[in-house]
Amino acid sequence: MTDIIWGTVTKIISTNSFEMNVSHQKDTNQDSYKDVEEIQFSEIDIPSIPADENSRNVSEIEQNLKDKFVKCEISGRNSENILVCAVSHSGAGGY
Amino acid sequence: MWAPQIFQNDNSIYENLISGQIPAIIIPEIISKFDCENLCNKILLNQYITSGPGISNKIGTSLSSHIYEKSKYFSNSQKSNQLIQHIFANTKSPLLTMQKIIKNISQKQISTAMENSMSYSDAVIRIHQDGDSVHLHRDHSTFEMSEYSISNFGNQLSAILYLQSPIKGGELTIYQKKWNKLDEKMRLPDFGYSSEMVKNIPQTSILPVSGNMIIINPKFYHQIEYVHGPKQRISIGFFFGELSKHHLCSWA
Repeated sequence: MTDIIWGTVTKIISTNSFEMNVSHQKDTNQDSYKDVEEIQFSEIDIPSIPADENSRNVSEIEQNLKDKFVKCEISGRNSENILVCAVSHSGAGGY
Repeated sequence: MWAPQIFQNDNSIYENLISGQIPAIIIPEIISKFDCENLCNKILLNQYITSGPGISNKIGTSLSSHIYEKSKYFSNSQKSNQLIQHIFANTKSPLLTMQKIIKNISQKQISTAMENSMSYSDAVIRIHQDGDSVHLHRDHSTFEMSEYSISNFGNQLSAILYLQSPIKGGELTIYQKKWNKLDEKMRLPDFGYSSEMVKNIPQTSILPVSGNMIIINPKFYHQIEYVHGPKQRISIGFFFGELSKHHLCSWA
């Protein structure tokens, strides 16, 4: 089973990475995660952010992700110990 | 005391709601109990009851079900608007009555929002059954639905008409706390926010009295308490905001 964490995006680092405050973790996660994690996104399911990394820019990602609550499905850590995840928005704050 | 105010032709009430000086405007008995019963009979016979974020039974499309599926939202809105019009066929549409009241309170014109010649959803009918509740949340399209043009409307409010009261429960609790970005750390993965957020915050409670319309400022945290008993809590609602100084647009 894939580990999943949720939290708010605090800083956009590059066109494929950001920093997040981890507020929720799936009960059955295999690993534990820090309160603040750097995320490299391998996939992003947010229509306003292009799937192709070359078509993205940091300000566009900031506009769409900064301060937002996201779900990260973790596939592992890269050589720099950064989490590699599929990222999507999560739930709704209201209806 | 932070308490709902009943509308008595005092137009400052609209500004007071926007500024958060009052939690809600109540407009009593905008339609008769008899009309409410008739509408509810039609609603409950409807076979197009679906579910959405925070609610298990609803009729009609809402933005929160399609935050990132814009074309699907607009295609569903068209069907949803036809369905709701069909439910209200041969009766005086409560949506028109609600719009008329909003026009009177705000002194502005109101119509359903459009984007690229496509209509937003007119309204959503929500049906809460025995044991249902809606967890603490706020509604904030500017932050959460920036893909849609309605997210740019100023002073967004929410209008609800209660069509059927439950036997017990189903009160709307509004907390004297307005959403801000930092609150996102208290989000829950599926829907809404942690109840810890409103611990010790003053609150007010509104009974879902059939025939009564309320207008709230949805950026203030709110929740629906548990419904008890065999009679459903049924309401119809939409959001509206300022397109311009003299024109409001609504959506659901």
